[in-house]
Amino acid sequence: MSLHQWSFTSTAPPEFIGLENYIYLFGWEPFYTSLKATALFATTTLVQLIIALTAALLVNSISRFKNLISSSFLIPYTLPPVATGTIWLYLINPNVGPIFKFLTNKNILDSPIYWSVQSDTALMAVIGITSWTFWPFMFLILLASLESIPEEYYESARMYGAGIVDRFLHITLPHLKTAILLAVSIRMVWNLTKVSQIYQLTGGGPGYSTSILAVFLYRFAYDQGQFGLAFAVGVVLLIITLAFTLLFIRGFEKSRSDNE
Amino acid sequence: MSITNKIQKVSNSSALFEFVKWALIACMMAIFALPMMFAFFAAFRPPNEFYASTVRIIPEEPTLSTWVDAFVSLQDQLVNSFIIATGTTIMSMVIVIPAAYVFARKQFPGKITLFYLIIAAMMFPYVLLIIPIASIWDGLGLYNSIVGLWIGYQIFVTPFAIWILRDYFAKLPTNLEESAQMYGCTQASAFLRVVLPLSAPAVVAVGFLSFLTAWNDFLMSNMLTTGVGPRPAVVQLYIITTGEVKHWGLVMAMTFIIGFPPTVLYLLGRRQLSQSFSVG
Repeated sequence: MSLHQWSFTSTAPPEFIGLENYIYLFGWEPFYTSLKATALFATTTLVQLIIALTAALLVNSISRFKNLISSSFLIPYTLPPVATGTIWLYLINPNVGPIFKFLTNKNILDSPIYWSVQSDTALMAVIGITSWTFWPFMFLILLASLESIPEEYYESARMYGAGIVDRFLHITLPHLKTAILLAVSIRMVWNLTKVSQIYQLTGGGPGYSTSILAVFLYRFAYDQGQFGLAFAVGVVLLIITLAFTLLFIRGFEKSRSDNE
Repeated sequence: MSITNKIQKVSNSSALFEFVKWALIACMMAIFALPMMFAFFAAFRPPNEFYASTVRIIPEEPTLSTWVDAFVSLQDQLVNSFIIATGTTIMSMVIVIPAAYVFARKQFPGKITLFYLIIAAMMFPYVLLIIPIASIWDGLGLYNSIVGLWIGYQIFVTPFAIWILRDYFAKLPTNLEESAQMYGCTQASAFLRVVLPLSAPAVVAVGFLSFLTAWNDFLMSNMLTTGVGPRPAVVQLYIITTGEVKHWGLVMAMTFIIGFPPTVLYLLGRRQLSQSFSVG
């Protein structure tokens, strides 16, 4: 079943019907807006990595409440993305949402920010909410990897007088390297192909400013029924994600040869 | 520096370290739990409280009627979601268990290539598939049907599930089946009687994963269903939020009703799922 998707896409070969679509696409302003949004949106992976690494190191270093804390960290990830999207639509609603009410009550802001009508605030909201929702996946991978480091490594390092920074740089980080590579590459692909939350939060707008390539594709296909153009966008997206897939496979092979 | 000095310094710094550590954990808990709590309590708020100018976490006059209303209005879609997710799970188990076992235990030509194709499928941008699937399903008469969604979700579910289960099967000692066969089991019954019961936790976890993938999905269900078809709860929630929302309390109650089943399943199956990624 999983193999069929390759042939699905090739049933409508873009080379034949598509060349005109590419010419159109590459000469069209919104396509570059979308590419820029994709590049900026990709920083969500970095944000997720930083949060996940910090959280994994913290949780790994405690013994009390460990399960409770890591389980509560997971909850945003387990909810349907449309559900977390709905929660945030309420929280940052400029009229009834508590966040802007709080900020204006405390005089931090003069008036609520109508974030969804400005490109930069809309993009920031989308990046923030995506990071908030999906970081626990990396947290799980990194925590599992941290837990597999034998305690003796740290004990002997301590005996030789290695400080906490030394221990982190020379034991923890090298051990985590493959896990980080795997987590970043798989998360990068999954982040860049997310549609539902962004589409729900901003509809890809204002204009095309939050239409990352996947949303761009979805808008062509679903809203406008322009399948040819949607395919052309899809091929560009595929090429980008393929690079990260290759990175993932390299990391996977490395982890296998390390284990043997 | 004398040794006692050094020890003193270490314990001082470790007390400070403990403090910073817990402060950071508290911060992170606040960032992730506070919004969730706020939204959760909003589900108990009567409509007029949403226009109050003050910010309170706990509602002044909590009401349960939002939950009842939310449940009643989502009833049909929740049943749809349940049927869709359960069918997806059963179908994926039938495909995934034998496939993962074969990948873990058997040698056959093209195994490595096939396995990398599965990884590639796992990381394939599924949004590319919605057009071909929609048109093929339309041709096959599967459009707007529950069976169509069951089959469609296999593309999402099976690669990741094979990946996780293969890892679990591969870690079981091979002599399990060998000794079972010595006692007269056939290869198939050795698998059914020995390997499968031993891998029950992983199989259950993968089943949970299939269920919640289908339950949570928006991309395919929105493309493949219409208002007159089997519309799942997530799509209904999306449609409500993109319109004008009159009562956020009701919408928050809907959100948590829809979010409850996948969250419980994920927390139950979590340990097995994360182990496949514990590398390095």
